[in-house]
Amino acid sequence: MVTRGLTKRFRGGQVAVNQVDLEVPAGSIFGFLGPNGSGKTTTIRMLLGLIAPTAGTVELLGQPMPKAQLSVLPRVGALVEGPAFYPFWTGLANLLRFDAADAMADPWTRKLRAGEALERVGLSNAAGKKVRAYSLGMRQRLAIAVALMQRRELLVLDEPTNGLDPQGTREVRLLIRELAGDGTTVFTSTHLLAEVEQVCTHAAVMSQGRLVRQSTVADLRAELRPRLIVRTPDLGLAAQTLSGLGVTDLKQSADTVDGDPGELPIDKLAAALVTADVRLHGFTLERPSLEEAFVALTGEGFDVAE
Amino acid sequence: MGTTRRGRRWLVPVTTVAVVAGVGAFGPVVADASPDLPGITAQDLLAKVQTAKVDGLSGTVRSAADLGLPALPGMEGSQFPDLLSGEHTARVAFAGPDKARVSVLDNMAERVLTTDGKTAWAYDSSEREAVKYVLPARSTKPAQPRPEKDAYDPQAVAKQFLDAIDPTTKVEVTGTERVAGRDAYKLRLVPRTDKTTVGSVTLSIDSKTWVPLDVTVMPRTGDDPAIQVGFSSVSFDVPAASTFAFTPPQGVKVTEETVPAFKPHSVTPPKSVTPKTTPQTPRSGSADDRPDVVGQGWESVVVLHNADLTPGTNGPLDQLLANARTVQGAWGSGKILTSKMVSALITDDDRILIGLVTPDTLVAAAPKAPR
Amino acid sequence: MSAEVMEVGGGSSPSTAVARGRHGTALFWSELHLVFGRARTWVLLGVLAVVPVIVGVAIRLSGSEGDAQGFLGQVAGNGFFLIVASLALSLPFFLPTAVTVISGESLAGEASLGTLRNLLTAPAGRSRLLAAKMVALAVFCLAATLTVWLAGLIAGFVLFPVGDVVLLSGSTVSLADGLVRALGIAVLIAASLIGLAAIGLFVSSLTSTPLAAMAATFSAFIVSGILGAIPQIDVIHPWLLMYGWTSFADLLRDPPYWDEIVRNLLMQGAYLAVFYAAAWARLTSRDING
Repeated sequence: MVTRGLTKRFRGGQVAVNQVDLEVPAGSIFGFLGPNGSGKTTTIRMLLGLIAPTAGTVELLGQPMPKAQLSVLPRVGALVEGPAFYPFWTGLANLLRFDAADAMADPWTRKLRAGEALERVGLSNAAGKKVRAYSLGMRQRLAIAVALMQRRELLVLDEPTNGLDPQGTREVRLLIRELAGDGTTVFTSTHLLAEVEQVCTHAAVMSQGRLVRQSTVADLRAELRPRLIVRTPDLGLAAQTLSGLGVTDLKQSADTVDGDPGELPIDKLAAALVTADVRLHGFTLERPSLEEAFVALTGEGFDVAE
Repeated sequence: MGTTRRGRRWLVPVTTVAVVAGVGAFGPVVADASPDLPGITAQDLLAKVQTAKVDGLSGTVRSAADLGLPALPGMEGSQFPDLLSGEHTARVAFAGPDKARVSVLDNMAERVLTTDGKTAWAYDSSEREAVKYVLPARSTKPAQPRPEKDAYDPQAVAKQFLDAIDPTTKVEVTGTERVAGRDAYKLRLVPRTDKTTVGSVTLSIDSKTWVPLDVTVMPRTGDDPAIQVGFSSVSFDVPAASTFAFTPPQGVKVTEETVPAFKPHSVTPPKSVTPKTTPQTPRSGSADDRPDVVGQGWESVVVLHNADLTPGTNGPLDQLLANARTVQGAWGSGKILTSKMVSALITDDDRILIGLVTPDTLVAAAPKAPR
Repeated sequence: MSAEVMEVGGGSSPSTAVARGRHGTALFWSELHLVFGRARTWVLLGVLAVVPVIVGVAIRLSGSEGDAQGFLGQVAGNGFFLIVASLALSLPFFLPTAVTVISGESLAGEASLGTLRNLLTAPAGRSRLLAAKMVALAVFCLAATLTVWLAGLIAGFVLFPVGDVVLLSGSTVSLADGLVRALGIAVLIAASLIGLAAIGLFVSSLTSTPLAAMAATFSAFIVSGILGAIPQIDVIHPWLLMYGWTSFADLLRDPPYWDEIVRNLLMQGAYLAVFYAAAWARLTSRDING
């Protein structure tokens, strides 16, 4: 999946997505990160041909969108912006309808496939219940079941764990890994960094309509520089010493001094501090989380509570 | 790029509108393009029309009248008020001099008038009533149980105007056209007098049978026809005799009337104000009530007698009369009602003068009109 | 005409068109299932079925032949006319209301539920989805008039004597002939509703609020009725949606008078073509944000 210069300007001039060049390698689990309103969902809608880009191109499974959507989309399972169903129908009936909408779907195996998909998301028991009576988590599972009705080469999941309890979240993550293990490329948007850290092989970060970063998760992590944190009552002395040794980006708080040690050997730094008569209450090297990296990239905090 | 491409999709519905409107507006014009016919002089054409005779015909007639008459709720009581306004469709069949059938196709109803020469039937599907008229044996004139037969017969309508041809009429052949799928000449009659409200009368004359297929009357002012009666389809095969027979269906109230031999016209109560197209409009009651015609040709005026227009008994007509212009003369006084085509003078001595003439012509005719 | 244009404009190359044609009818069946699988649809049809029953019972209770003109006046004498009278009575209000509700719901309902995006990513194909919606609407129109026909038949036969049918022209045909003609009338009235259904479909494609779509469609219907009642603008009357609606009665003439019937069908076809094309242009260029 590749996008080039993808841009969406809404009527009124607001640019929701600005010059986005995404590259999702086949077989990857791609985490699409960004705070709410950063243009994630708009990008996903353009990927799937739901809205037309103002500029730029989208290529899905090697074919141009939305031109080839009728041949490409059957190979793509999608969950866009929360589950949407006919509340007056049962979960099973909903599954059957969306499958029937796809002319490529085999009508003879439809019920069988629906049963399997429901089984896979743990909804077998609720298949005959009207969706009206489903909880949000059940609807989310049903939406994933829609994407699983057929063998897909690509899954595009927009916030797949939204509304799920911790148990459900774990199951979905497991499911994603399992599917990826079968060779399916998974493109999942989320605002939960933990999800990316635990599941994804690749990640991209959106901020204010722009793609600020994309790489493998391993690279992202490797780039995160560890920070040296010295807990001491002798703040000034410690800072002076570290600075003299070449530690940069020093910051002081009530009882700590921290900075970027760069490539400096840690044991030497400790020895130097002791030699300088700095009273060490603590001396740690801390690797920052992706969240901190994210804050560094987007310049804003992560709105975990939504 | 995307936006302009998508904008172009709206060309599809726009084109559809254009095509639909084009077919609707110009389709009939193209279909009715003027056929090529050998030239003919107006005099020859007129002669052929006046001697034209067919043994029978059937077809569908559409009539549209816009005489500019005010809508009078009081006229609802009359039996065929609609002849004077609006659009109507009738199926007609004629055979010989005395067989005729006219079915007026009303909205969700039908009125049938049929005669085989011996009996005549009038059937109204909405009232579920049928009237049987026993006609006198072999009357000299073809029996006409109701005048509306003529109103839906382009031949009869044309005759009214052909009768009016006199030296004051300019007659010309103005071209050809297709009417009811047949090639026809257009014969235009233009009155040279300015006393009439008629601007011109155009007859479409079938080029094979010389039967008028369409009559269009244009008023002196305005661009819309005042009267148009014409075939939308026509066949000159003589209809089968069974066409003119009528068996009253079950559950229909049947009344029977015998028509006296010497007064073949005296059936319809003349509640409707009838313009010159049917000047012989019959009257019920005594012979004294029969209408007279004053004047000739385009200037003829029909005089109705003993019209009871006492104020307070005619509903909306009273209001109309109250606002009408009053005219006076040596003959007395009266009120003038005018419309685009028809003028009427209602005198204080209960005469009504009506014609396709100017109000002044009516006033001039008033002294000559019998009381 | 429009169908061909659709295909070209739909953005699908010929090869993909062939490839996706395998089970293309499934969506149409699913669409019917959606329309007829809802309680709301059956309530509407139920209301329509009650029309002949109420009319029949009222006439029966009044006990007299009555002075009513037209079809209604013939019901007491022949139950057959309950079918025709009910169809005629349903035409000005009940049938258009039902069609308005269903057509207004069609696309706006999917948009408001969000199911439109599921269908389009399935992928249903926008042109094909629209075609399925229109076909389902046409089937609903037919189901609505056939409901009245059937209810009228049953109520008419139960409540009144039944016999040979007197046509408008005064001639009499057998009951079987009459029933076939009444069936023809039901089909003609269904066809008369197609134009309104197409307008509803188009309006429905403009919004994500089904109620707004229904209100707007019904307003269009009312406005058309008002325009038709103003004599000063009778020039445009022949172009109005309802101008030829009463032409169905021409089927009860002897022989049937086809001119107005054909004209009405062409008129409905024109409305269908215009508004279907507009709905297509709208749906295929619309951003699905809901």
